[in-house]
Amino acid sequence: MNRKRAIQSLLAFAAIGVSSVSVYEWTSSGHTVKLTDLPQKKQLLAELAETIIPRTDTPGAKDAHVEEFIIKMIRESDQKSQHNFLAGLSSLEKYTADKYEHSFIECTPQQKIAVLKHFEDKATYSIAILNKINNKFLGTAFFNKLKDLTVEGYCTSQLGATQGMAYNYIPVKFEACLPLQQNQKAWATK
Amino acid sequence: MIKLGAAETKATYDAIVVGSGISGGWAAMELCKKGLKVLLLERGRNVEHVKDYNTALLNPWDFDLRGNTTVQYKAENPIQSQGTDAGNAHFFVNDKEHPYVQQKPFHWFRGYQVGGRSLTWGRQCYRLSDLDFEANLKEGVAVDWPIRYKDIDPWYSYVERFIGVSGKKENLSQLPDGEYIEPFGLNCIETHLDESIRKNSHDRLLTIARVANLTRGWDGRGPCMARNLCSRGCPFGGYFSSNSATIPAAMATGNLTLRPYSVVSEILFDDQKQKAKGVRIIDTITKEHFEYYAKIVFVNASTIATAGILLNSKSHRFPNGFGNDSGELGHNLMDHHSAAGAQGAHEGFKDSYYKGRRPCGFLIPRFRNLQPNSGLDFTRGYNIQGHGERSEWMDTRDAGGFGADYKKSITHPGHWTVWMAGWGECLPYHDNMISLNDTQKDSWGLPLINIDFSFRENETKMMKDISQSSAEMLNAAGFTNVQTFNYGKPGGDTVHEMGTARMGHDSKTSVLNAHNQIHAAKNVFVTDGSCMTSSASQNPSLTYMALTARACDFAVEELKKGNI
Repeated sequence: MNRKRAIQSLLAFAAIGVSSVSVYEWTSSGHTVKLTDLPQKKQLLAELAETIIPRTDTPGAKDAHVEEFIIKMIRESDQKSQHNFLAGLSSLEKYTADKYEHSFIECTPQQKIAVLKHFEDKATYSIAILNKINNKFLGTAFFNKLKDLTVEGYCTSQLGATQGMAYNYIPVKFEACLPLQQNQKAWATK
Repeated sequence: MIKLGAAETKATYDAIVVGSGISGGWAAMELCKKGLKVLLLERGRNVEHVKDYNTALLNPWDFDLRGNTTVQYKAENPIQSQGTDAGNAHFFVNDKEHPYVQQKPFHWFRGYQVGGRSLTWGRQCYRLSDLDFEANLKEGVAVDWPIRYKDIDPWYSYVERFIGVSGKKENLSQLPDGEYIEPFGLNCIETHLDESIRKNSHDRLLTIARVANLTRGWDGRGPCMARNLCSRGCPFGGYFSSNSATIPAAMATGNLTLRPYSVVSEILFDDQKQKAKGVRIIDTITKEHFEYYAKIVFVNASTIATAGILLNSKSHRFPNGFGNDSGELGHNLMDHHSAAGAQGAHEGFKDSYYKGRRPCGFLIPRFRNLQPNSGLDFTRGYNIQGHGERSEWMDTRDAGGFGADYKKSITHPGHWTVWMAGWGECLPYHDNMISLNDTQKDSWGLPLINIDFSFRENETKMMKDISQSSAEMLNAAGFTNVQTFNYGKPGGDTVHEMGTARMGHDSKTSVLNAHNQIHAAKNVFVTDGSCMTSSASQNPSLTYMALTARACDFAVEELKKGNI
C-alpha cells in the first residue's frame, strides 16, 4: 500500500512539475493552443461541456460526446471565432493553473463552476447591444462559443434529443393544442 | 423516358418545355395529358421522387456537423449558404459554378435539378384577387394586367384540386377562397392572437396558412407526416412538387421525354414562318450543342433565367432578344419583401403544448389599402405570416448561466412566443432589371446575368407600417417584450422573383399577351414568374401554376385550329 501511494505521489509531483513548466512557457512565450492541438484537449472540452450541461436524471454533455462535436465545429468556424476560442481555451488553462495550481480536469465541482463563471463574466456585457457589436467586430467570445456549441452538440445528439428532451422522429399527425404532461420535456426539433 | 447524350438530336416534338420547376412541370403534364409529344428540358441532374431524397430520413445526429454546412461550402456558396442547411444544400446550386453579377446586392437562390425549386418551395397557396389585377390600371402604375380574376378563377380551382391544398375558407374579397382539404390546426397562442385581432378590428383576422401539404391522402400522395423537413424532399409525398406529382403524371402518359443536363442557350426563330422553330441546348456534361424542334415552346426556366434565355435569343427579326419589340424584356423585376415584422412573448397558456411539427404557420390576410384613399403613405399592401410556438433550446440557450438549472431550463418548454413578418408587394420599376453581361461568360460560354434591383420608397414605408401594425396586434393581445425588426434583407431573399417578361394588352409596352403568348411569336408561351405584371403580396407559385394550365389549354386549342 505504502509503495503504491509513494508511486502515486511521485507521479503527481511529476505531473505538477510538467504543468509548472507549462505555466512558465505560457507566461513567457504567449503560448496558445493551436487548431491541431484540439484533439488533445478532448478531455478538457468534455469537462467544460459537462460543467455546462451536467448529468442529472438525464444524460449529460460527456455522455453525449459533445466534445467531439465542439472540435469538429471549431474546425468549421471562421478564423476570428477560431482564434478567440483557442486563445480563450489557453487563457482558461492558465487561469486555472495560476489560481488552483492544477488543471481544470482536476478541479473540484465548485472550482469548475468558479472558473467558468469567471469566463462567463468576461464574455458578457450587461447591455445586449454591446454583445452584438462585440460579436461582430471581435468574433464570438470564448465562453459564448463554448456554451453555444455545448448546447447545440447536446441537443442534437441522440442521447440529448431522445433522453434529455423529447424527440419525435415521425410524428404522423400535428396536434395543435394538448395539455402539458407532468415533467413534459421540450421538443428537440422544430 | 429519359434522354441523354447525342441520341435522337434534331428530333422534332409537338412541344418543348424549358425548365422542370413548379410551372414547367405543370406545362409538361398538361401538354402530355392532351396528347402532345413533349420534350422537357432541365439544365440540372435528374431527381427522382423518393429515391433521390438522400437526407430525408436522417436524424440530426446522423449528419457529421448536425444541421451545419462546412466552412468550405459556405466559402464557395456565399449566397445559397444563407438559405441552406446540411439537409437541403444539395437542392441548391453551387454559387462558384453558377456566378452572376450583382450590380446591387441581390440574393439569387436557384435549384438546378429536375423539379427545380418546387422541391424546396414554401408551399403557400394564395389566390390573387381583382384588388391585385386592377391595381396598376387604377393607379396608373406600369401597365394593366390583361386578365381579371374571372379569367383565372377556374384555373386556380383546377390546380388546387390536383395539388391538394390544406386551408380554411374565410370569405374575403382580397384573398379569394379556393378548394381546400382540412386545415392544420392553430395552436393555443395563435388562437388567442386570432381572437384578439378579430375583437379589435373589423377588417383583420388570423387564419391557418393555405399550403400544399396534405392533411389527408391525395391522389396517391401523402398524408403529411408533420415532420417539417419538406425541403429535403418528402418520401411520403406529403407536399406537392414537380417530382412527386406533375412529372410522374406526365411520364405515365407515355408522351414525355425528359432530358436533364440540358441548358437552353436560345430559342430559334424561323424567319419564313415568323415563329419559333425550336431551341438550341448545350449538354452541360459534354458541352455539345444540339437543336430540338417543336410546334410550340413553353419557357419556364424561372423569372431571371427565362429573361436571360430570351435576351440571348437574337435573330434578324429580334435583334434585342426574342419577342423584345417593347424593350421591356428583362425589366420590371420584382421580389416581395419579407424583412419587417415584430415578435413577442406571452406569459399565459403555460399548461398547453403541441405534438408534431406543423409544416406551416399562420396568415393575417392583407388589410391595408383595401379601399382607395386610405390615408396611408404607401400604396398596395402586405399579408403577415408568422407562427406561434413555445421556446425551445434554440431560443432559450442564450439565457445566462450554466449547470443543472440551466440544463433544466433549456430542455423544458419555455414561454409562448409569436414571430410575424409582412410579405409585402413590390412595385414594378422599369429600371429594376436583369441584363446580359457584355464580357463575362459561364463555363458553357453563356453570358453571365447582371441583376440590378433595389427596393424603393414605397416598400420602405410599407415595411415601417408592417413593424408597427404587427407590434400593435401583439401588444393588444397581451404579449410582453414586443420587439419590432427589419432585417434589411436585399432583393431575392423572399425567392419570389417575377416580372421580367410581363403580360399586357399592348405589344409596345409588354412582352406577353393575355394568354402568355409572346406578342410577336405566338407559338412561344412564358408562364413562369416572368409573366407577372404586378407582384401583389401573395406567394406567387399558385398563380404561375394556374396561368400555366390556362395557357396550355389555350395553346392546344390554337394548335387544333391551326392558328399557331
